[in-house]
Amino acid sequence: MIRTLRRTWNRLLGSLFRRNADGDLAEELDSHIRLLAEEGIRRGLPPDEAHRLARLQFGSVESTKESYRDQRGMPALDALVQDLRYAFRGIRNNPGFATVAILSLAIGIGANTAIFSLVNGVLLRPLAYKDPQRVFLVRELLGPGRNPAPSPVNPMHAREWAKQCLSLEHVALMRSGRAQIAAGGEPASIPAAGVPHNLFTLFGVEPILGRTFFAEEEREGNDRVAILSESLWRSRFDSDRSLVGKSILIDGRNHEVVGIIPASFRLPYRDTSNVRFEIFRPLVLAQAELSRPMGNFNYSAVVRVRRGVSAEQALAEINVVQARFPFLAGSRRDLKATLTPVHEIVTGRARLGLWMLAAAVGAVLLIVCVNLANLLLSRIAARSREAAIRTALGAGRGRLFRQALTESLLLAVLGGAVGILLASWIVQLLVAGGTLDIPRLDEVRLDPGVIVFAFCLTLLTGLLFGAFPAWRLGCNDPQEALRTGSRTVTEGRRGLRRREALIGLEVGLSAALLIVAGLLGASLTRLLQVDKGFDASHVLTVEIDLAGDLYRESVNRERFFDRVLAKVGAIPGVQASGVTTELPTLGETWNDPIYLEGASRLEERHTVNNRYSSPGYFSAMNIAIRSGRAFEESDRGRGVAVLSEKASKLLWPGEPDPVGRRFMGEDDKPKTLVGIVAEVRAVLDRDPPPTAYYPYWQRVPASVDLVLRTSADPRSVAGSLRAVLRGEDAQLPIQAIRTMEEVVDRSVAQRRFQLTLMVVFAASALLVASLGIYGVVSYSVARRRNEIGIRMALGARRSQLLWLVIRQGLAPVVIGLAAGVAFALFLGRAIRGLLFGVQPADPLTIAGVIVVLLVVGALACLIPARRAAGTDAVAALRFE
Amino acid sequence: MNTRAEVWQGTLALMVLKTLNAMGPQHGYGVARRIEQTSENLLSINHGTLYPVLLKLEQEGAIASEWGVSENNRRAKFYRITKSGRKHLATEVTEWAQATEIVARFIALKGMKA
Repeated sequence: MIRTLRRTWNRLLGSLFRRNADGDLAEELDSHIRLLAEEGIRRGLPPDEAHRLARLQFGSVESTKESYRDQRGMPALDALVQDLRYAFRGIRNNPGFATVAILSLAIGIGANTAIFSLVNGVLLRPLAYKDPQRVFLVRELLGPGRNPAPSPVNPMHAREWAKQCLSLEHVALMRSGRAQIAAGGEPASIPAAGVPHNLFTLFGVEPILGRTFFAEEEREGNDRVAILSESLWRSRFDSDRSLVGKSILIDGRNHEVVGIIPASFRLPYRDTSNVRFEIFRPLVLAQAELSRPMGNFNYSAVVRVRRGVSAEQALAEINVVQARFPFLAGSRRDLKATLTPVHEIVTGRARLGLWMLAAAVGAVLLIVCVNLANLLLSRIAARSREAAIRTALGAGRGRLFRQALTESLLLAVLGGAVGILLASWIVQLLVAGGTLDIPRLDEVRLDPGVIVFAFCLTLLTGLLFGAFPAWRLGCNDPQEALRTGSRTVTEGRRGLRRREALIGLEVGLSAALLIVAGLLGASLTRLLQVDKGFDASHVLTVEIDLAGDLYRESVNRERFFDRVLAKVGAIPGVQASGVTTELPTLGETWNDPIYLEGASRLEERHTVNNRYSSPGYFSAMNIAIRSGRAFEESDRGRGVAVLSEKASKLLWPGEPDPVGRRFMGEDDKPKTLVGIVAEVRAVLDRDPPPTAYYPYWQRVPASVDLVLRTSADPRSVAGSLRAVLRGEDAQLPIQAIRTMEEVVDRSVAQRRFQLTLMVVFAASALLVASLGIYGVVSYSVARRRNEIGIRMALGARRSQLLWLVIRQGLAPVVIGLAAGVAFALFLGRAIRGLLFGVQPADPLTIAGVIVVLLVVGALACLIPARRAAGTDAVAALRFE
Repeated sequence: MNTRAEVWQGTLALMVLKTLNAMGPQHGYGVARRIEQTSENLLSINHGTLYPVLLKLEQEGAIASEWGVSENNRRAKFYRITKSGRKHLATEVTEWAQATEIVARFIALKGMKA
């Protein structure tokens, strides 16, 4: 073993450091032969004969030298070094080709690496939980109907699961919100969650300092404790280790900081997967909440399934428990539950889009490879004579193949190296940009796994574009190649066919990419043009959170809103102003039932989105009033409400104008319907939900969005708005002031990101494919110069020649297009979830792409075709 | 022919080591001659085939070489066995003796005629 190692090592050294070994060997062998000859002379042979016999006895000197050399170094390594040296020379001799190859590979590999680092960081790398595959988010499914929308969880139901389901190791409820914190800097409002003591055990997360909650801290009065996230602790408290055990003000009350949770911990919460919770407080549940089945679906719940139990088994057990609640509540509705892997919740809607981008960028690299293979094939024609000479001199076919492949691999490695640099730059740009609404984006980086991926991808790329041309190179018959005596050996009709097939592949992939990009573009356009039910232009918004002792009494909050609304209404340039509890496009929230007085059955309770707003809200957002009126100041003191058309139809189906009728609001108090308004989209790409609006003074919220409609640029009043808020309460944290257009835009940021990248990918694919077409057609024109000359001599017209070349150049384009469109139809179904208002087989998009590709293809053919048509017949015939 | 050459390759290394062990430092010519003499000229080899074997043994550390002057006053490379070479030789000799003994037993087997 050791001897083998030692020998290998010495052979490696022998390969690398040759020094004067050949000379030494020659001298040694020479001295041996002389000794043999001298011995012969001593035995009385004539010198000539002695030397001849000595040579015979020694055997072939050259063959000895050769086997000695093979033993001295490593023949494979020597050949590799030789191939590499040759490959470098090849690159130096043909810098144009090498530059194109390295650059296109760098872009291809760089883009792939960057997208892979996104996929890896967001989708593949496991979440920082213990055994994340056993953690699920639970949502309830309230029938009737075959596919009821999943709803948040009722605390009583969750308590029963924990008691009765043996397959569940832990059940934890959560409630999200914001908390105001003044310590350690400017007052700020930070995403916070109320969580039970077992939540951290459930996720298997240990605090880096201090402890997690105790069970008794979930009781009212014991709950003034908080756990902070590492990121908040570092940014706001300078990683002060003595913070644990101290009290800080949260929402105006003292809370003892008992622990710090690692920054990698990410709490999955319903749809808001991209929110990072940084303050955790014990979840205190009132007894009333824990004894009301079938209502109050307001919590998020996670469960950890016991080891060895499948998700299906756990769900079946939960559903058995669920089946009893409707019975308890005297309802005939169905109640089931659904489990979602926690990873899906966290990555949510980014999933499909990222996989699509990964596939698209892979297709771009494939096109780059095909194009390079094509270029290499065309170079084969020029190099086949050289290859023939090498074959004639004894180079084996394998050796020729290996050497050509070495050159491709060298190009790939150089391209890959530049590509990795490019990728690290792109990733930095993406992560630092921060405008991207992708969860776990902060975890994305070029880690060793990504580098390994890039390296493997590089080798694969080199093989992919190099193997076929390298194999073709060895296929030439050396006799044939040397005999023709022309400068180059033209590849036959079969060679051209092969290259046309590659062109078809490039065009097909480009067509598929273009169609997908077109579908995404059409989706975004339609989404932005969709009737949102409000007018986002000239509107400024800011979120106001009233927390702390000062605003504990609702009358204080009411007065605050009254005064602020009066003051901002007086800012010059403000036409209308209002508040609401949730802005449109930010989500369907506050889902609670409204019903007609006396309705006893659950079926007659209609779940709607509930909003508390001010009278001016409708005019500030330009929400059309279909019937009746908005609230007015004069409505103070009596129960009134405004419903959206859908909501009013739920209560009074078939009644044309129910304004003036009475119903029960979400607070179970009677309301008089004063007006009916247009539908407003709560989520941009979903149908508007039925919505009920109440004046804010009926149930004064702690958190609202203030909206201002301005006559000029809304940004111009931001300063005045800030001054008004500061004037009311200097301690109030002021959140980002944004225009409503920015709010809407943010909700399509992910779509825009996907679209932008797809357009870039599709455009590069198109560019590369058109270069490929150009290359093949130019080559075929050059090859057929003779024929074209004859045709001209026989009287062919210019236009006929043009058409001839274009027709033949476009043939593979048309075939590729057909295949690409078929492929895109298949792809369209896979990305249906990313489309909006567009069918996957949108005829307009497909037709557009066909036209674009045909035009680009024709243009790529036109340049060589014009050259062909401009040929001078005599010169062309004399050419050979 | 071919099979004999293979056996030859394997045993040649053993012969080289044994020769160097018995005679002290030698150049390639000396080793070749000595092998021929020991085999009483039953074995006649192309002297050239010796050199790759010498190199292999040197790479394994079983022998070492150094330039010196031969009896006809020429520069020649002298090979000598090293400590690890002697160890190697000892095991090889035992193994070889065992192998020949086993083969000999089989050849000596009596019974049905083949």
